[in-house]
Order: sequence, then structure tokens, then C-alpha cells
Amino acid sequence: MNKQFEQIEKYIRSHCQADDYSLSISASDNHQTRFAQNGITQHIAGPRLDITLEVAFGQRTGSCSVNQDDEATLAYLVKTAEDIAKLNRPDPEYLPSTGAQTLPDVNNSDPSTRELEPAEMVEIVQQAIDKAKAYGATVSGMTEKHVYEYCLFTKNGFAGSDSLTQFGHSMTLKKENVETKVSHEAKDFASFSLEQEFGRLLSQAESLLTMKDFDACKIPVILRPGAIGELLLYMGWMMNRRQSDEGFTPYTGQLGQPFFGEKFSLRSTLKEPRLYARPFDHEGIVSREISWVENGILQNMPTNRHWAKEKNAQPQMLFNYFVPGGKASEEEMMKLVPRGLIINRFWYIRTVDAKAGEFTGMTRDGVLYFEDGKVKNAVNNLRFNEIPHDATRRILALGKQELPFLYAYIPTMLINNFNFVDKTTF
Amino acid sequence: MKYLDLAMNAAERLGAEYADIRVQKTTDVVIYLQNLSLKNTSNEVLYGYGIRFFRDGAWGFAHSNVFSDEAVLKTVSRAAEIAALSASVNKDKKLRLAPERSYIAKYETPVKIDPRDVPMKEKVELMLEVNRTMLAFEGVKRAMFYLVMHRDDKFFGSTLGTRLELNTQWITPMITATAVYEGDSQSRSFNEGGKATGWEWIESLNLTEKAKQIAEEALIKVKAEPLGPEARRTLILDPVHLGLTMHESVGHATELDRVLGWEADYAGISFATPEKLKNYRYGSEIVNFVGDNTLNEGLATLGFDDDGVPGQKWHIIKDGILNEYGSTRDTAMEIGLEYSRGCNRATYYSDQPINRIPNLYLLPGTRELSPAELIADTEDGIYIQGQGSFSIDQHRVNFQFGGDFFWEIKNGKLFRPVKKVIYKSCNPEFWNSCDAICDERYWRPFGVINCGKGQPSQSARMTHGAATARFRNIRVGGSQ
Repeated sequence: MNKQFEQIEKYIRSHCQADDYSLSISASDNHQTRFAQNGITQHIAGPRLDITLEVAFGQRTGSCSVNQDDEATLAYLVKTAEDIAKLNRPDPEYLPSTGAQTLPDVNNSDPSTRELEPAEMVEIVQQAIDKAKAYGATVSGMTEKHVYEYCLFTKNGFAGSDSLTQFGHSMTLKKENVETKVSHEAKDFASFSLEQEFGRLLSQAESLLTMKDFDACKIPVILRPGAIGELLLYMGWMMNRRQSDEGFTPYTGQLGQPFFGEKFSLRSTLKEPRLYARPFDHEGIVSREISWVENGILQNMPTNRHWAKEKNAQPQMLFNYFVPGGKASEEEMMKLVPRGLIINRFWYIRTVDAKAGEFTGMTRDGVLYFEDGKVKNAVNNLRFNEIPHDATRRILALGKQELPFLYAYIPTMLINNFNFVDKTTF
Repeated sequence: MKYLDLAMNAAERLGAEYADIRVQKTTDVVIYLQNLSLKNTSNEVLYGYGIRFFRDGAWGFAHSNVFSDEAVLKTVSRAAEIAALSASVNKDKKLRLAPERSYIAKYETPVKIDPRDVPMKEKVELMLEVNRTMLAFEGVKRAMFYLVMHRDDKFFGSTLGTRLELNTQWITPMITATAVYEGDSQSRSFNEGGKATGWEWIESLNLTEKAKQIAEEALIKVKAEPLGPEARRTLILDPVHLGLTMHESVGHATELDRVLGWEADYAGISFATPEKLKNYRYGSEIVNFVGDNTLNEGLATLGFDDDGVPGQKWHIIKDGILNEYGSTRDTAMEIGLEYSRGCNRATYYSDQPINRIPNLYLLPGTRELSPAELIADTEDGIYIQGQGSFSIDQHRVNFQFGGDFFWEIKNGKLFRPVKKVIYKSCNPEFWNSCDAICDERYWRPFGVINCGKGQPSQSARMTHGAATARFRNIRVGGSQ
């Protein structure tokens, strides 16, 4: 356990007079080099600290957060949280803090990321720019390194900590009308290869050279992991047990039902080493192997401690996205339908109809049209209005899993009749 | 503030062509009540300083939360070191800073009743009353009240000799009722955004009465008929709705860093490129957008930006023509401007300032016209109040918006409430279709408190404003 965290916890334990408390502390060291149009525009370094104390007198609660750990600030933290609670109204949904738990053994930290020096990061940026210039293009992106430490203590005996390293490198290449992006995100820097990433970027750029106008319609799509990951994130955010029980989401009354397509499963797992798996959440709910959707059947929904008690259920949180894949390559997927589109990424996804579970968004960074099993040309960007859980009923094939984000290990999907409703001029 | 001089002297010794320090304490008091249950009652304080170091055409920015001479000097050194690393890459692409003079000044948000002086109990009692009022309506299943009181206490010093003390604050109340009826669920909110003012605003709003209206309208909305398939229609949009439309389609599109491609990897670029300045028809002749960081109660009215540039007022779109951008000291020079418009802002001490939308508003119409007269003058259309779904492409051209409450207009009258309404349009089609704007009596501001941009992501604030306006021949209808 981090010494700084121990000292803060010791102070709170001996000075907090409340009936109950939860103390969460997060600390990070960050280095972020942001480049654009072949030059560095922002370059940031620094540590961050967040200390949050939630207290309760009976059912009266209060919370305070600070970012310094000297005694005067910690005294302010305790007094402010306690003063708020004393003046507050009782919260009818208040629950005492979690007690001691057995936590899963996870490893979210990697030495190759921890040891990465700023000069090495800038060298990666320099090489990316040199490669873009050699191609007659401009590149914009971000190279970043984060080292996080997090802990949670409660008066009732919960004590847990986690540490995470994160390395990220993204590149958007622009040459005349061609614009495309790749991004890499992982716990470990060692898994990163600029050669490989830039190769992928150039390959995407080359495939986009011939652009033709394409009208919005319902059409099969091959959604690459970056695109499907963004869509699933929004869908998962809506999968909330309480909101569903109260009638606000499409999942109302669907537990145990074949609500998704049978080719679709969604789990949270501690067993995939590339995925970030936090061992517990802010309420002290312990992460465990859990299946949310199994072969289309909605088996579980994220449920906080209060609602779990109301429903005599187990509290559980969606802590990462593991979607089992298949064996189909993009080439094989293209042969399964007469024509379709390959989508690299989505952008600006927002709710259109919360009860229906409908979202809108745009394509971005490259859309390819294919016909008779072969890519014919690139096309303009398109807007969709689509219901993701409904779209899973139209999955025709699954590819192999990839890690588009640190919290998502998901496959490419071939989905029939994706609902595009508008197009743009680029 | 002794650290200002210490840091700036050290930066000069290390060879800074320019440097600044921002010592900032940000306090957010949040109260969130849902169905009479206090989900969050908190006070967050973030205190520290960020130091920018500029040399050889490149920035370095380092931050710290430790206040000691040693820590300040170490942070200056770190900023200098990473500026040198950046400069090693920027050999062919050196950034330059627009000229600026020095200022010694103090600015404070004018406030009559400081929210900190209003007892917690009084705030929570008001929120409970509003929650109870909404839940008393049968069919309203969820009542929410979200109240935020934000304050920034900032000292700014630069190697130009500028020394500023900036104490600014804002407040926002948002209430929402969600109704469930025959398998559907719909929400309606009272959300005027945030204002740089005090508790006196909350007292003036009569939120209990507003709660009744919101609850009634949530029930009307959930029982309303869906609008149905898409068709070309006339749209009448209220000021709160327009606050979001202008933010997305004009505000972000005219941030100079986006225009230059500095956001290309994340938020995207802009179609409103420099060759279009002074000649591109962005909107009809009655469309005038003003950037105004001196606006009374405006959220971007901060005295000075984080470049140490004072608040200004200028036309971004004039008589429908693209006129100028919102700029910063480092973006202005890229297109040959001789000065910055003062749009460089950071959210917290640990954020490097970035080019931000200023207070940006649509000027009201010049002839007398009320919303009622505008509706009476419309044969077949849709009247949209409040904000809903929003999405725009990464070039800021093609967009789709929803809303919060909808009426179908027939023969100059509000004919029936409808739901599940979205519209699709694009720049410049949308703003060129604007054929009427109500007069200044109906101009209302909307304060955005959560404009997300940048990597690392920052949440900025600015105020928009408009009077109810009409747009012809827009694609309006269902989504599927």
C-alpha cells in the first residue's frame, strides 16, 4: 500500500467523528504530448491527487473532496464533510458503508510503462511526424503515459487498493481529402510498435484514395472494434437495473429474456490480462466474473448496493467489456453479403430515445464501400440512428477480438441493415 | 502572491521567451436530489498552480499542488525541460505569440447574495419542495434537482509583468421530471444553464411553480403522439434550444485552433477555413453572431483569459458573413492576426489553456416581433423548446438535434403536442434558412457549464443567447 495513502487513512481514522465514512484516494502522474499538423501544440506534465471523504451521521450524509494531504487540508476535509452531513436531511436510500471483503488478485500495472521517459515519448512523436512528412501528409495525435494509484477505505473495514499504468498513442493522418486515424491503448508500453501502427495508418489512407458519393440507406456494415466499442459503451451505460425496473430503459421486464441476438454475449472478466479490470468500485462492490448477456439472453444488469437490497439481488458493476468473437476475417465477411460498408470509427454518439435505447452518431476516419466480396472505393461519412441491442439481432458474423480501448476486448462485427439516415459532403 | 514573482523570475533565468503562472483554487459545491434522496451533497476544492514556459516556438506546461519555494522552482524547471523537448520537434513549425501588453488588474463576478452564505438546510428544503411538487403528479416517476455552485479564485502572473487577481463564480439549477405511461418514458427539464451571478437568481426563478409546469409537461409529452416520418417543415426554436444549436454549429466551428487543425485527432477540424473570412455566407442577412467576453452575467466573462488578454466584444458572423474567429495568442499569429481575441482558457490549475468558445450570441431581430406573432405567422411547422439530443460531424457541417418539448403548428396556432422529434440540417443550409428573429425583449441567455474539449479533456463554460427564431424548409421527423 502506498505510504501517502496510509498516512491519509490514519489521519481520517483518528479524526473523523461521523458514525460512518468512506474514504477514497486517487493519485496519478501524467505526461501528455499533444501534436497537430506536424508540430507539438501542448505538452503537459504533473501529478494529481484526489481525496474524497463521504461521511454519515445516521442517515444524514455529506461529502468533501480536496487535492492536498497536509494536516490543515485534511482537517478541512473532515470538518466540511461532517458539517454538510449534520445540516443535511436524512437520505432515505442511505446504506452503511461496505465491510471487509476478499478482493480479486489483478495486475493492472506494467513496468515498461512506468519506466517510460518523456524524451522517449517525444522521440515517438518525432518519428511519427517524419513518417507523415515522407508521405506528404500531416499527422496529429497524442502520446501519453499515466500511472494511477487508487484506494478505498471504510469505517466498517473495507480496505482495497489498485494500481494501473496506461500508455496511449493516437495518430490522425491528413493528406488532401483523406483523413484517417489509428490509436493504441494498453497497460504496457512494450506492446506498442510505431512501425506497425503507422503501417496500419498508411494502409487505411491508401484505401481511402478513391472517394465516391454514397446516399444514406439501410445496408450491411462491418464495424471494426473501435466503432463497435464506442456503440457498446453507450448501450452498457443504459443497462442499469434500477432505471430498467422503474421503466426508463428498453430493458424493463427483459431479465432472463432473449433480448439480444443469439450471436451476442457480453461479460466482465478478471481473466483477460490485456483488459483493465478494477478490483472494486467506489461503493466497495467487488469485481467478479459475470455474464451480462449470454447468447442473446439478458442475464444480469449493473445494480448498485441500494437497489440490490431493494430487489434482494447481488450488487454488481460493469467493470469492463468482453465480447466473445469469431473467426471471420474482413475478407470473409465481405463475401457473406452482396454489398456493404466497412466502418473504422464512430463519432459524437448521443441518445435519441432513451426508452427505445436509440442512439445517433456519425462515421469518421474512413468508410469503405464493398461489393461482390471486394472493396470498391471509399465513400462520404454517414449519420446513423440505430438501436444497438436491436442491431445485435442482425449480427451475421464475428471476427477476432481486439483491444480498441483499455476496458474493451471486442471483435469486428458484420451487422445487417444498419440504419443510416443522412450523409455529409466529406 | 509571492510565488508569482518567484516563478516568473526563475522562468526568465531559464531562458523563457514568455512564461506565466496561474495559481487557482476551484470550489464546486454540488447538491443532487433524486426522488427525495440526496445522491450527492459535496464540496470539492482543487488548489494548485500551472506554469507555462514558451521558448523556441514551443510550449511546456507543468503543474503541482505543493506550495513551497522548492516545489514551485521544480515545476518551472519541469515546464522548461518539456518545452525544450517540444522545441526539438518544432524546428520547422515554430509557434509564435501575438503581441500583448501587461496589466495589473482585479476582476470579481458581481454577486448580491453569495451562495456560500445561504445555509445548506435552506438549499435542501427548497430542493425537497421542488421534488415533492413534481412527484405529486401521478405518472411522474422520477424527480431530479441538480444544483451546482462554482467558484474560481485565481492569481495570474506573466513575464510580461502582468499581475491579475480574478475571483469568478457561477451557479446552475436544473430540475427534471420523468414520466412513465403505457410503455414509454419521457423527461422534461427546466434548464436555463448557468449564470455568473449569485443566489438572487435562484430566488427570482420561483422554482416550485416551474416544477408544476415541468411535471405537467412531462405528462403531456409522454402521452403525446410521435411526430412521424421525416418531411421538410418550418421550425421555430426557442432561445434555450438555440443555445445548443449555435454552440455546436457556430461556436466550435469558429474556434481558431480547430480551424488550424489542432483538434484534428480528437474533436475534429472546421469547415470555416481562413480563405472564407469576410466572404463566406454562413447565414442569411439577419444572422449576426457576436463574441462578447464582457457580457453581463456571462460565464466566459472573467475579466481576462489565461493568456492575460482582456475580455473583448467582436462580430464572428456579420450580416450573415463569416467575419472572425475566437482566437488565442498562439493561434492568432498562424493566420496573421495582430492580436488575440482572448479565448484561451483552462478549467483547473492542472490544465493547459486551450482555445475556447467565447460568450457567443445571436443578435435579436431589429423589428418588433414576439414568439406569439411568429407562431401566428407560420402555417405548418414545429415549435421546439429546450435542449435534447445533439450530434454533429467532426468538420462541424452535418448535424442532428432533438429538443425537450414540441408543438406542431397548424395555421398559425399551436395545434397539438408531439414527441420523438428530431431535425437534420447542415452548415450553412440551416443558418441561411433563418428568416425571422424575435426582438430584444425576447432575447434570453443560456449558460453552458460543461463544454467538453481537449486532451486531457477539459470542461469549459460560456454563455449563448438568442431570441426565438424561425427556420424554413428543414428536415424534421422521426429517426427510423
